[in-house]
Amino acid sequence: MRKWLFFAPLAIFLGVSVFLFTGLFSDPWTRDSVLLNRPLPEFDLPDLMQPEQRWNRELLTGEPFLLSVWGVWCPTCKAQLGFMTELKEQGIKVVGLYYPLPVDPAFGDHFSLGQLQRDVQRELAYFGNPYQFNILDENRRLSLDLGVSGSPETFLVDATGKIRMHHVGDINPRVWRQKFEPALEQLQQTSLVQLGAQP
Amino acid sequence: MIPELGQLALTFSFALSLLLGVVPLYGSYTGNERALMLGKPLALAAALFAGLAFVALSYAFYTDDFTVINVASNSSSVLPWYYKLTATWGSHEGSMLLWVWILTLWTAAVALFSKQLPLLMQGRILGIMGWIGVGFIAFSLFMSNAFERSLPYFPVEGNDLNPLLQDFGMIIHPPLLYMGYVGFAVSFAFAIAALLGGKFDSTWARWARPWTLAAWMFLTLGIMLGSWWAYKELGWGGWWFWDPVENASFMPWLVGTALIHTLAVTEKRGTFKSWTVLLALATFSLSLLGAFLVRSGVLVSVHSFATDPSRGMFLLVFLLIVIGGSLLLYALRMRSVRSQARYQLFSREVMLWGNNVFMLTATLVVFLGTLLPLFHQELGLGSISIGEPFFDAMFFYLTIPFSLLLGLGPWVRWKQQKWQPLIPPLAMVAVAALMVAVGLMAATQSVQANVALLGLLLGAWVGMSALGEVGQRIRQFGQGLAGIRKLSASHYGMTTAHIGFAVLVIGIAMTTTYSVERDVRMQVGDTVTLSGYEFTLLDLYKLDGPNYGGEAADLKVERDGRFITNLHAEKRFYTIQRTVMTEAAIHARLSRDLYVSLGEALPGDAWSFKMQVKPFVRWIWLGGLLMAIGATWSLLDVRYRRKVLRRDTVPQAGELSDKHKELAHA
Amino acid sequence: MSRLVILLMLFCSLPLWAGQEILPFEDDAKRQLYQELVQQLRCPQCQNQNIADSNAVVSIDMRTKTYELVQQGHTKQEVIEFMVDRYGNFVHYSPPLNPLTILLWVLPVLLLALMLWYMLRRRQIVQTPEVSNPALERELDAIIDAYRSKK
Repeated sequence: MRKWLFFAPLAIFLGVSVFLFTGLFSDPWTRDSVLLNRPLPEFDLPDLMQPEQRWNRELLTGEPFLLSVWGVWCPTCKAQLGFMTELKEQGIKVVGLYYPLPVDPAFGDHFSLGQLQRDVQRELAYFGNPYQFNILDENRRLSLDLGVSGSPETFLVDATGKIRMHHVGDINPRVWRQKFEPALEQLQQTSLVQLGAQP
Repeated sequence: MIPELGQLALTFSFALSLLLGVVPLYGSYTGNERALMLGKPLALAAALFAGLAFVALSYAFYTDDFTVINVASNSSSVLPWYYKLTATWGSHEGSMLLWVWILTLWTAAVALFSKQLPLLMQGRILGIMGWIGVGFIAFSLFMSNAFERSLPYFPVEGNDLNPLLQDFGMIIHPPLLYMGYVGFAVSFAFAIAALLGGKFDSTWARWARPWTLAAWMFLTLGIMLGSWWAYKELGWGGWWFWDPVENASFMPWLVGTALIHTLAVTEKRGTFKSWTVLLALATFSLSLLGAFLVRSGVLVSVHSFATDPSRGMFLLVFLLIVIGGSLLLYALRMRSVRSQARYQLFSREVMLWGNNVFMLTATLVVFLGTLLPLFHQELGLGSISIGEPFFDAMFFYLTIPFSLLLGLGPWVRWKQQKWQPLIPPLAMVAVAALMVAVGLMAATQSVQANVALLGLLLGAWVGMSALGEVGQRIRQFGQGLAGIRKLSASHYGMTTAHIGFAVLVIGIAMTTTYSVERDVRMQVGDTVTLSGYEFTLLDLYKLDGPNYGGEAADLKVERDGRFITNLHAEKRFYTIQRTVMTEAAIHARLSRDLYVSLGEALPGDAWSFKMQVKPFVRWIWLGGLLMAIGATWSLLDVRYRRKVLRRDTVPQAGELSDKHKELAHA
Repeated sequence: MSRLVILLMLFCSLPLWAGQEILPFEDDAKRQLYQELVQQLRCPQCQNQNIADSNAVVSIDMRTKTYELVQQGHTKQEVIEFMVDRYGNFVHYSPPLNPLTILLWVLPVLLLALMLWYMLRRRQIVQTPEVSNPALERELDAIIDAYRSKK
């Protein structure tokens, strides 16, 4: 017994190394969203381009769509616009949730909706416009309720308004194939089953 | 040309380390004295060439050689020359080179200052150090080459040094920290040499002790400076965040502290043998683990370097060989060793074991808090965070019994101690501690039963007890100066370090309890009063630095109408790296710090300011400094500098106890 | 007299304002709760910082929300639940209790107990010294004492 006790440090070390080894191949940043399978939070926000038009949860339910959190200040968001426009052409509905930066008067910035609209139009014209429309998240309240920590982030919302996926980072062909396509297929299957069940 | 020479020098150093790993070890097994004698020149040459490599890289930084990728991404031509030099260790590659150089320096130091060691032992130790050097130099050469060029297309201007690193703290913190981390390789090599030789008498402990103390001293200073640097440079007034990288340096410090204490037992009493060897292995293993955590990217931390899984893989394999191999050797060799223990429950041996109980438990707390989020995620349980609330609570409960024990420990004699003679002096210490604590609190704050009072009581108990014990020893040794001179340097060192701990505890308790902070909006001319200090904003103006712009604020502080100081706070915008840095204005006194940092611009020509009054925060670093001074004082002890001849004729206190044993057997 | 005044000043070190507080609080309890919360909530975007020390947009928003919730009279637990409900357990620096995280508390206590028990048990074994000669012991102790005091 006492003799084997001297092997305890070695055993503990080897046990820890297993975790260190697997840790090398996993990203410490991956986090599972807590919002999966929950309905979209309640909100009432203006359209970015036509501020008199207001959007809420009920207006968005009915068909599955991608809710894409973005801003013109974020280079990665702009880089993914091209691929997302292709997705739109394949018939995928993409709704933008515009994530404005807090205004920093230290560097002479003041918020101007007109300026923002012009910036957005310019960038979308240049990189491609995947969005059916953009919702302006005025004080980033909806983003906070969605657990958004930055942009770009993308949510897959099903026809009943439930969140089915929360992707942090950019959308590219690889991510789309590996993550979104299987999820979309599953969504379609379940909705077909539901349709079939209905007379 | 120069960078290529640096690369070549590092390659030479690699080859020399390889020889150092082979030749003396071969000599130690074949009894070839010449092979053993080669250890010293090989170690010195390896250090020389590693030094040349480091100088070559520094030169590339100094001369803005942007064809070297490392220089281009971590420096710029507008950087002041001293930051250009320190940018040498501002990146993963450069800091690894510094690490390698320091390792070879320690090896050379062992070669130079171990004349009293038997040649056989010396050869083994140098051989082991050589192998550790081979591993790290290989990592530097093959996995993180600092000299790589980007020819023919190179940038005309560099990327600049991370503004956080453009600070005085950066100049001295990493070298000291690495001196500590790597220094424990020496105690590790001593322990392995003892394992290889199978001799575990008190001699190896006596030889390993000064080296361990020196490494511990550097690590203490390194950690302390890191804390001070974060405090003044990050701009929010925190001094410890329980970040994985901080924890990675704290774990070897805790086990190293345990090692220093248990080495004393092994040296003086010949017991705790296998335990001491294990601690020596664990201390360096945790240093290596720290290097792995910082450089592999398995954990998310503020300070970690940019990462690459193949580097992590290399380090993990290195860890498996060094740590796994040494622990296997330990298990195989130690099964047969038994220490004779002849001491009572109330004895210094048990007190020092008590130190180990708390140090090791604290290490486990830090270890779990740092790595459990990784385990949690790897087991598919989701990501969690462990931080301040957990660590603070655990250390709070550990500090109380530990401090009580620390106040008692130094009074207790080896082998056995009777309770009765200790009661009068300890009662006096307790009364004095109570008076000091309550007095100090009444002088600075109102007296309340809270964490601050508890901290003061514990700190005063430890400090008063350390002073009282030294006073008593001096009186035993003789009147006045004679007694003061007779007491050994290591005893004074121990007392100083213990007082340092007391100061640290008081500092932490007072700062956490009584710090006041407010975020305020101010225009020029506004006054804010905090804890009796009146801060008036005198001026706000634009900044124009060499590689930054931004905003500056001048403030005046008064108290009861008396002028205290002027403060100058800055918010810098570094143009190349596009980062914002907060240069806080700090007015430091022993009893409190005034800490003002600029927030952001607000409408109406106003700025937001974070105002803080932090009582006793200096005591935290003062405590660390006292511990380091204590370790240095101990190092000056004559018995570490005795010549071989004298030791052979004059028996030492430690050896007497061995003789004692032999006689007792007779 | 003046000494008394200084002492009084020290004791009532309440802040007085001319410049205004950015986030005004009705009472100290709420201010303290807010400061405690922003220290213990983790910025979901940053490397490893709490929301008090980070200036990421999400940290600013979380601070604002925390302030609102504290002002509305929510308890510490409620604010933490609000954040965890959106950002997951990751966002709080104190992990939830489960069979794995319980080890954080159990293992240190176990180690502490084990090491103390080891010392006590060892004592019983070695209570009977191998060979002992009281007279010799005393003699040797005297020699050692003599040596120590000579030094």
